[in-house]
Amino acid sequence: MKKLLAIMFAVLMIVSIAACTKPEKPVEQGKVFNIYAWNDEFKGFFEEYYKVPEGVEVKWIINPSDNGVYQQKLDEALLNQENAPADEKIDLFLAEADYIGKYVDSDYTMDISKIGFKNASTMYDYTIKAASDTKGVCKGVSFQCCPAGVIYRKSIAKDVLGTDVPEEVQAAIDTWEKFDEVAAKAKEKGYYMTASFAETFRAFSNNCTKPWVDDKGNLQFDDQITAWIDQTDKFIENGYTLTAGVWDKEKTDQMFATGKTMCFFGPAWYYNFCMTNAMDETDGCAGDWCLVKGPQAYFWGGTWLLAANGSDNTEMLKDIFETFTVNTDVLKKMVKDKNQYVNNTDVVKEFAEDASYGNTAILDGQNDIAIFYELAKDIKWENHTNYDQLLNEGLQNKLQEFYTGSVDKDTAMKNFYQYIKETYPNIVVPEA
Amino acid sequence: MENKLKTNNGKLKSVSYAKWGYIFIAPFFIVYLLFTLIPQFLTIYNSFFETYRIGLSQVGPNFVGLKNYIELFKADPNGTVLILKYAWNTIWMWFLGALPQFVVAMLLALFFTSIRLNIKGQGFFKTVIYMPNLIMAAAFSMLFYALFCKGGPIQTLLTNKGVLEMEFDFFRHRVTVRGMIALMNFLMWFGNTTIVLMAGIMGIDQSIFESATIDGANSVQVFFRVTLPLLMPIFVYCLITAMIGGIQMFDVPQVLTKGDGVPNGTTRTLVMYLNNYLKTYNYGMSGAISVIIFIITGGLGGIVYKILSKQYKDPEAKHRERKGKVI
Repeated sequence: MKKLLAIMFAVLMIVSIAACTKPEKPVEQGKVFNIYAWNDEFKGFFEEYYKVPEGVEVKWIINPSDNGVYQQKLDEALLNQENAPADEKIDLFLAEADYIGKYVDSDYTMDISKIGFKNASTMYDYTIKAASDTKGVCKGVSFQCCPAGVIYRKSIAKDVLGTDVPEEVQAAIDTWEKFDEVAAKAKEKGYYMTASFAETFRAFSNNCTKPWVDDKGNLQFDDQITAWIDQTDKFIENGYTLTAGVWDKEKTDQMFATGKTMCFFGPAWYYNFCMTNAMDETDGCAGDWCLVKGPQAYFWGGTWLLAANGSDNTEMLKDIFETFTVNTDVLKKMVKDKNQYVNNTDVVKEFAEDASYGNTAILDGQNDIAIFYELAKDIKWENHTNYDQLLNEGLQNKLQEFYTGSVDKDTAMKNFYQYIKETYPNIVVPEA
Repeated sequence: MENKLKTNNGKLKSVSYAKWGYIFIAPFFIVYLLFTLIPQFLTIYNSFFETYRIGLSQVGPNFVGLKNYIELFKADPNGTVLILKYAWNTIWMWFLGALPQFVVAMLLALFFTSIRLNIKGQGFFKTVIYMPNLIMAAAFSMLFYALFCKGGPIQTLLTNKGVLEMEFDFFRHRVTVRGMIALMNFLMWFGNTTIVLMAGIMGIDQSIFESATIDGANSVQVFFRVTLPLLMPIFVYCLITAMIGGIQMFDVPQVLTKGDGVPNGTTRTLVMYLNNYLKTYNYGMSGAISVIIFIITGGLGGIVYKILSKQYKDPEAKHRERKGKVI
């Protein structure tokens, strides 16, 4: 009995202390902050640069992007959002350029001006446009901007072109015709121009002038997609590239010092995310790389942070958005230490104009921000559909079977149509 | 079960204990009803509807009759009826794995139960052969993928030894991919089959083996005339459960080929096909596929049971018939 009394008093005391010290806030904030993501990229930045308010537990729910798994899991959770207990509701989720529209144009995302976040003038316009619904209501922010270029191996360029100076290399590959010619030269010297049949895909696909699916639901091939297929046919036939996919081991192995590949296509996130082999201390070749614009300006990917409707941690959401878009201290660290190209024109401009800045983590000390800064000016957000991820992925997977010699091209294309029928029954594909 | 008691007025009153029996088996039937039978009927019901999700918006459900089934048996743009192709893939890959699985399991079961061989350290061997079954199928597939992928250790090793050409890719050929899947299924399941068959053999009265030996039967004769017929119920059970598992083959090929069934869908199984429709919550099409899988499973199970149990039901009876003797 004594014990029981003691416990009761203890509990009472704790409760009363807690009640007294509770800070007065207009809206009660949740104790668990749930984040849906498809990889660890943002998690790394978040844990390093964001200070989680005391008493809040951050839960990461990570599902891989391949085969649409991430979207499936996320959709499931969002559809259940209304009925989920407060601590299980999604607060923040990440979305990629290929399917962001699907979420932005829905009631599952929240108008971020309602939580007190104002889009800064330093943010790139296209990142705002991508996160805005058809009425122009913005639902989230991006912490990065993703202009992309060609990252080339200096030693191989020297051997093939006789020069490794960025300006001269750029002059040699500034159109696709010239790029193909250089590929032939590289082949003669025993090199590959690219390490994956799909390496140049984004450079073409992000310059499309019409979306994958028209208003009536018909599938349409843009000239850029056809051009990519034609180029890849030629590259595979002549042995200018490998049959590996963009994310395959066979391709990333080419980034070791022993690799024989001259060009890789990617934006700033590509360094940390895809080129770790090149930065390997023993087998890598950091410092042997330079960045140029390449044949065609484009952007690739980008991760947006979207505010989930129903979140009970709106203050923390606002705080996170601010940390990764306007907190210049954090953003500068992200550029300097993580080689990111952040979504803040002031910060990147400062680096672009800073003659003393250079990327030494992977490049030869070149100021890559200056190049990305120029490229970023051209990025436009248009012709995107919610189907992009699975259509891009499907086209590459089905054509890969043709390039590896398992099927002929006609079969591969028909397999692609069948894949669409199974994945999106509402899209009309050309009949056989 | 009824106990008849005489009551005071001389009438018979029966006390039934049967209700306790029903109460004891009720939990199983309730669970079965809720989690198996009702979903089964729901699946069949759903297969007559058009119902799927595009992104976050739901289409249907609209009643479409047999349209989903007709759609399934329609040729794809390449002129193949996919469901038949995938059914064949499934059965063939199961067979490739099950054949060695049963042969090896039977041999091992015989060795382990043989009094003459009297193998020492059985516990150790049994644990070791059962081990692969403890690994998650998905993890096992990932291991195989890592080993055999282009640039992986096996390909590199064999290329360096000059066995393979530089360009050889295990995942480009139907034979190698199917072979890998069959090998994995074999490795994962032969231990399990061995244990079950051993139990079956140990259940046979040892004196029958002894008398057969005394009568001068050699070990092959003992196996075919004594062990196999008496083991048949267990063997049929093993075969049918293995077959049901085989028709539902999914995780190994799904993870190994990343859901694509490379090359050209030749290693895609029925359940992988079904799973693909589930991505868009297409309960109509996936329901129709489930129903077809159900029919195939039932049909094949029935055929196997009929053939094997007829042949081995009572070999003595056959023998007697031939001789025209009636005992």
